[in-house]
Formats: sequence, C-alpha cells, structure tokens
Amino acid sequence: MKILYSDIKKLVPGLKVSSSKVAQALTLTGFMVDSFEKVRYQGKEDYLMGLEVRQNRPDCLSIAGVAREVAGYYGLPLKMPSNGSLKEGKNKLSIEIEAKDFVKRVVAVKFNQVENKESPKWLKEFLSFYGIHSINLLVDLSNYVMLFTGYPSHLFDGDKLKGNLSWSLNKNFKEIVTLDGSEIKLNKKELVIKDDESVLGLAGIVGGRLGKIEKETKTVVMEMAVYDHVIVMRDSRNLNVITEASNRLTKNLDPRGIDFASKYLISLILENCKGKIDSNIFDYYPKKETAKEIIFDPESPSKFAGIDIPKDKAVKILKDLSFDVKSKGKKTIVTPPVGRTDVSLKEDLIEEVVRIYGYDKIPSSSPPEVKVVENITPENIILSEKARDVLCSLGFDEVLSWPVTKEGENEFVNYLDWEKVVTENSINEDYPELRQSTITGLLSRFYEYSKKNIEYVKIFETGKVFGKAKGEYKEHDALGIFLKASSQKGEMNSFKSSVETFLRLIGLSDISYKKSKNNPEIANPFSCWSIESKDKKIGILYKLRPNKEIKDAYFAEFNIDEMVKILKKTKNKPAIELDQKLVVLDANIELKKEDIIYDFLKEIKDKIGTKYIWSINIIDEFPVKEKIKYTIRVSYKNLSDKDAKEVHLKTFNLKEK
Amino acid sequence: MESQKAKKFNKEKTLKEVKEKISQVSSFKKLKEIEKEYLGKKGLIKDLFKEIKSLTEEEKRRVIPPIQSFQKEASLLFEDKEKEIKKEEFNEELLRQSEKIKAKKPKIGHLHPITQTIRLLNKVFIEMGYSIMDGPELENDEYCFRRLNVPPNHPARDMQDTIYVESPKFLLRTQTSSIEARALEKYKPPFKIVCPGRVYRNEKPNKSNHFVFHHYQGVVVMKKVTLKDLFGTIEHLFKAIYGPQVEIRFRNKYYPEVEPGVGPDMICFKCRGKGCVLCKKVGWIEMGGAGIIHPNLIEMAGLDKNKWMGFAFGLGLDRWAMAKYNISDIRTLLGDDLAYKYYENENTL
Repeated sequence: MKILYSDIKKLVPGLKVSSSKVAQALTLTGFMVDSFEKVRYQGKEDYLMGLEVRQNRPDCLSIAGVAREVAGYYGLPLKMPSNGSLKEGKNKLSIEIEAKDFVKRVVAVKFNQVENKESPKWLKEFLSFYGIHSINLLVDLSNYVMLFTGYPSHLFDGDKLKGNLSWSLNKNFKEIVTLDGSEIKLNKKELVIKDDESVLGLAGIVGGRLGKIEKETKTVVMEMAVYDHVIVMRDSRNLNVITEASNRLTKNLDPRGIDFASKYLISLILENCKGKIDSNIFDYYPKKETAKEIIFDPESPSKFAGIDIPKDKAVKILKDLSFDVKSKGKKTIVTPPVGRTDVSLKEDLIEEVVRIYGYDKIPSSSPPEVKVVENITPENIILSEKARDVLCSLGFDEVLSWPVTKEGENEFVNYLDWEKVVTENSINEDYPELRQSTITGLLSRFYEYSKKNIEYVKIFETGKVFGKAKGEYKEHDALGIFLKASSQKGEMNSFKSSVETFLRLIGLSDISYKKSKNNPEIANPFSCWSIESKDKKIGILYKLRPNKEIKDAYFAEFNIDEMVKILKKTKNKPAIELDQKLVVLDANIELKKEDIIYDFLKEIKDKIGTKYIWSINIIDEFPVKEKIKYTIRVSYKNLSDKDAKEVHLKTFNLKEK
Repeated sequence: MESQKAKKFNKEKTLKEVKEKISQVSSFKKLKEIEKEYLGKKGLIKDLFKEIKSLTEEEKRRVIPPIQSFQKEASLLFEDKEKEIKKEEFNEELLRQSEKIKAKKPKIGHLHPITQTIRLLNKVFIEMGYSIMDGPELENDEYCFRRLNVPPNHPARDMQDTIYVESPKFLLRTQTSSIEARALEKYKPPFKIVCPGRVYRNEKPNKSNHFVFHHYQGVVVMKKVTLKDLFGTIEHLFKAIYGPQVEIRFRNKYYPEVEPGVGPDMICFKCRGKGCVLCKKVGWIEMGGAGIIHPNLIEMAGLDKNKWMGFAFGLGLDRWAMAKYNISDIRTLLGDDLAYKYYENENTL
C-alpha cells in the first residue's frame, strides 16, 4: 500500500512530526515501510511511502485506514470527509443475488444525467502514484474512493445493460473480455456479475468491456460489494488475475465499511459529474455484523509485555485507535471500530496496546533466567548428530540433497515394503515423487562430482525417506553412506569396515550380514546384504550395479529409528577391570558355503558365555570346494590356561593334540 | 729371555698401539678380538704377569705399576669403544625399522553448512536449557495449518504455496511450526524446544528461493512468559552469534499462530542502518518472526489456556548459512554444486 505524507496530514491535521518519523512509527507498529520516496505532488514537495500491510489488516489497504493508525499512534483526532445527506431516487433498482452463500453485502445505485469528462490534473497525478492510468472522471473517482476507503466499486453504463443485474455462479459463459481488452477463459462456477444476456464482470476482480463507462456515458449503475473472500481468492488464483480490487476483496473486509465508502463515492460523483440519483439505494446485507464486545483487563498488557503499562494508558491507546471503551460494573468492555475484522479476542486488544505503547520500550538486553525443564530431545536426533560426527571422522562428507526424485527412480532403488508417494502439484514437474532411499541424491552428487573431476567421493546424508504402507503415509530418518572406490580394485571390504566401525562407534553390537531378500534393482544381487544388530534388521549394504558411468561404488543405508530401538535395549560396557592375562586359542572349522558364519559365531558366543569372552575374531578364511575353512581366534578372560583350554576344546568339539 | 718382555714393557707405547688398533675397528666382534689379545686369558697382560713371578722383589716393584696402569686404562678404552659400537649398531637397527611418510594427503570428512549453522544455534539454546525436536515432513493439514490457527482458506495460506501429496489433507510441511503444534499436543509443559528442519514450498528454484529450505523454530511453554522474555532470548541469540555490538529492533508483525506478533530485525551489517542494496535501502534485515503463542493453539492442543502460555520464534536458516559460507545461490545448499576441499577443514577455535 502506498500513501502520500500529505494525505495523512490532511486526515490528521494535528500531525506535527516529520514524514520519516511517521514512517518509523508505522514500521514499528506493524506496517513495514519498505520504500520511502521524495516526490512532487500538486506542485509541492511530498513523500510517498510504500507500506507492507499485514494480511489481516485490509482496513489499512486504504488512505483512511493508515491515517487512523497514525492518528491513534500520536493520540490525535482523525478528520474524515463528511458525506452529507443523500436523496434517493424513486425508481426501484432491480438486482438479484443468486449466489447468496458468497455475497456478504452489495450496495448499488443508478444515476442519470451524468456528465462524464476528463479528470482534473490532481486526480490524474494522484492515481499515477499508484500506477493507475486515468480513464475518465467517473472511473477515476471510483478508483480514488477505493484507494481512500479500501472498498473497490464498479460502475456500469446503465444504457448498455440488458435487463436486471445479478450476482451468480457462472454456468454458461465461456469467456469474458475485460475493460482493458484481455480475454479470460472461464471455467464455470466463478462468481460473476451479469445482466439478462451477458457477463459484465468477475465479482471482486475485474469488470467486463460490455458495461464499460465512456466519456459519453449518461446513465451509471454503481455497485460496491463485499464477498466471501475465499471465493474471490479462488477465482483470482484459478484465472490468474490479480487486480487492485482483488487484492482487497481476497481479504476479510468489513461489510459495514461500505456505508461510508459508498456514500463517499456517490457524493463525489454528484459533486464532480453532476447527475441525479435515479434509483433507490439498493442494499443487500442479509447477515448484518454486530459490533463485537470484548471483555478487557487493562492490566493484561503489562502481564504480556513484562513491563509496566499503566491501566489508563492502555485504555487511552484503545480509544485513540477509535475503539469504543465502556465500563460495565467492574468490567471494561471494548468494541473495535468498523473495519477492524482482525480484533476479536482479548489477546488482540493486548497486542493493540503493546504495539502502540512501543515494542522498543520492552528491554531485550537479558535473556530470561534459565528455568530447568526436562530434556525431551528425541533419541533419533541425538543419534543422527552422533552419526554425522563419526562419519566425518571416517572421512565422509555430509551432503543434503533433494528429497524428491524423477519418475522411475524409486522403482530402481527401493528395497522397503512400501509404495511410493507422488506429489499432486509440484511445480518441479521433473521430480514428482518423494524419495524412498537416499541413494538417489547421493548418486546424483557422485555424477556431478565426476563431471567436475572431483576425486575421493565418500559422502553421506541423513534425511527423511517416504512411502505408503497399508494406506498410511510413512516416513523415517534414514542415513545413506556412499563410497566410490578410488583405486582400480574393489573396495567392498574397506567400505564394510568403515560402515561397521561406524555402527560399533555409535554403540551397536552383535552386527551380522545376511544375504538380502529384497534387493533393489540398483544393487549387484551377488553383493547385497541385509545388516542386522541383535538379529534385528537395521539397514542394507550393497555394491552398485555397474554401468557406463559408474563402477566399484558402494552404498549402505540405515533406518535411524530402528537403530534407536535397538540402542535403547543395548547395554554395552566396554571398560572392564582386567587383572589376569588373556588366554588366546585358535580353532579351525569348516562351514558349507551357504552357511552363515555370523550364526555360527553367535552359537559359539552363547556356548562360551559372555563372562569369559574377551573377543572372537576370524583371522583367516579360504574356500575349499563347496566349503569355507575359517580360523577362529578366541581370547578368553577370567579363566586359567587349563580352564580356557578345556572350554575351548568343548566348545569347538576338538580333541587335545 | 722371557722375563725381558716384562722388564721392557713400555706402557705409553703399548697404549698408543691399542688406541690405534681400536680406532680402526667398527664391529663389536673385532673389538673383542683385540681386547682378548691384550686383556684376555691368553693375552699380553696375562703373559706379562706369568713372567713377573720370576722377578726379584725390587724388579717387581719397578715393573708391575706401569702394567697395572696400562690394564686399567686399556679397559676403559675398550669399554668406551664398546659403547660407541653398540650405539652405532642400535642406530642401524632403528634405521632398518624406520618408515618414510608419504606426501599423499588423507581425505577428511566435512559437515554440511546447514548442519554447522544448526549446531551453532543449538549450542546457544542448549545452554539455555532447550531440547531439540523434529517432526514429520509429510504432514497433514491439521498440524501444518489448522492447529496453527490457519483455518481452511485463511488468507495466511495465500503466503504459502503448498506441495500436496493428497490435497487438501496431506502435504509437505510449509513451516516448522507444525512441530510446535505436535509438541504442544505430545509433551506436558513446561518445556523449551528448538526445532531445526526442512520445509517445502511450491516454488521453482532460483538464486534466492527454493522449494526445499530450512527453518529454525523455537517454542517455550510455561505458566508465565512475557514479550520481555522473548525479546531477551532473541537478542541473546543474535549477540551470541554476531557479537555484543549487534543492534536489534522488534516491530509488530502478523502471524496467525501468535498474538501479539513480533518481527525481529537486525541492523544491516553492511551499511549499519543507512540503507543499501543488501537491506533494500531499509537499513535493517528481517530475521524472522516471533510472538506470544496464540491462545487458540494452546486450547487446540488440549491445554488450559488460562494456565499455560508460551512464546515462539521462527528463523530462516539458509540465509544464515549462505552468509557464513559465502554461498551466493541458495540452490547450492541442496544442489550438486556444493563440494568440500578434501584435505582442509574449518578452524575449530
């Protein structure tokens, strides 16, 4: 919203402060002045301010609304123009409101014997500050009143109308040609103003060419309306038409404000274009708003602000802002002025008082005392943070990538038991789906790094992955780790070693690898394992299927939420008192190729008992025909040489040599 | 004839001879051979003492002292040389066992600028007793809008173009305030949380806007909080990050989830409030939004609005990260153009 300093002064004649001070006051009280220009208006130096008006303050999309704010801030009287009394005509204006659910109020009147002409210089100059071209006096006055009061209106050439005016939801009209000649295709169900034959305007948005006011126009039908702002917003968006009128009518305008605004426009037309009121003043206003009464505690602003705001000062601020303040017994009852649809609760009144009293009077130099409250940080956040640090120490770089993917990518990378999730309206059409695995972003990063000749691609990402299962949307925190081998030979075991180091460093134990049953397409099926801790699946590890661009690349992904569940049950205590030497004994065993060594080790561990185990390691393995030979080294603690040997022989079914 | 050797023994000459021999020796074995020749069981000294037995007492008194003196001094010579040889041999062993270092630089890992920025802020708030919180990114409109006092078709939705998964119910969260709505419902007050997280808007990525970016939300729910507490918290944060000289102002601003609403601005660090391109000639930079939590939010979460109140604030993280890391294009943060020097990290002090 733009406003001239001279216009504020006209309405607040007692204003003695400079334009820059006014701009500063407006900024601090909720109307950020984001442009401030020195201009010349009517031959004098003036200042044009650009204000950012809060979404819930449509009353301030007007000169009068902003002036009321300034008057309230400085405690000065507001001098609004007076309309005088209007004499209605005898003819009944026949208007039908069909779309009753969407029309809150319509005021309309017909003039005849109007003399339209070119606008005076001041009006043309005035409109130019708002980027509005002068058309003719009637149209310009309608725009002027919109800028002054915040209420858009529309004028039709009465001689061009065919039959009755009506407000209805569009059924048959396929397009409208607007006043500026643009053709807009209609989709049905728009709120339109029409006569018996044609569509004359999109209600609240723009007028049509058919009822256009010309310089020769003698009969004028003026309408001013307030609609359910949602339908105006919907039509404006769907048809992609944004106008000064729609900017105001897509907000919650107070229908009561039409009283003053319509009379002001009528007076200006009569005063400047002569003419007579030919009809009655039509007023469709079925659900009249009643003035709200809010119980207000004048001490409450102090309680909210944390500083002392005297009670009488609080009341004075409300009165200065044109609120009506009455006492009823011990209670203070406050009624907001016309236009203030944003005020309905006591908290709204508190805000009014505090913002005008001044946020700058509230000290900000010291933070509140530290009050001890329970730490409720969820474990998945703590674990993700730890994971980042550990992976960084292992030489991996953190990346963040797009959580959306191209069509078809999810089918290639998914290994979880869920369906994909597709967005309905993403503006990035090439990426319509939510990722099911972090590999999509990591792989994209790898390709980009390759193009840029970046070596040593060791990257990871923590972030959400999404899916749908049993009709419900699912998401969990995932951790993806990616390595592209830097040498010519494979690095599966070096990658596995990094991954396992990471898992052990975050506190997981009993880690085992099993052939994965749900191999994603992207994985080499012969190098794809499901990773478990304590027999619970926590993730996947695989070598990527090679292609022209990639060879010897590895990926592991974990479900952080699952890891948290296991960690919550894990009680590892690695620090122990060791006052005896360890007894180290080896055993050679043979397993079938399809047997899982981790299962065997678990069995051994259970047989010996954790009390006596320091470590169990595989120190050698080599295939022999259909079998694999392993040398397993067990370090025993808390046992003598003799006892350890006895346990060892028994555990591995060995005979003493 | 035999006894002539002892009588003719010249200590100085013999010592000189020993010194000369020792000086040419470099191995322990050779040294022992020479030592044996002079001081061993069948060595020179033994021979001389055998001779001495046949000498007169007077001759003995004359001959023995230089021999004994030689024996003592020669022993010391051998001892010193032995130490010297051992030291050299040990050095040879160390040299054999020593390893060279290669010039190849190891790859080190890096944290993402967004993570680093989040940690910077988290540190400040953890010291003030806050917990860290996150919530679903695929949200439903209940927590993203309605519970935040944004009923269907409220103009506030005009500010946010939402990516829907199943409109109008399921969407990608447009603000981390949705975490606030969930926390209000889930946790028993009093609590203090900060919620760093990803948010989504239906925007085509360009240099300064993206469809995925990061918010940092703070929520405090207590029996009593004031704007003074909120202002103090925000100023403390900015001072902790930008230093004590930073200047902040608070102005009235509208957000449906708070009442009163607050917009904290920081004085432009480039022009110090004079107005420049960076601050769009305003002199101040908008840093986010804040306010006292709207009583409707407290009520909708099933809490007694007469008993509990709170404040909330929200900041955009991406611009902070971009300013700190000199990143000029927001797309770099989540795009493929972000890379790290593999051998270098930031100064941790």
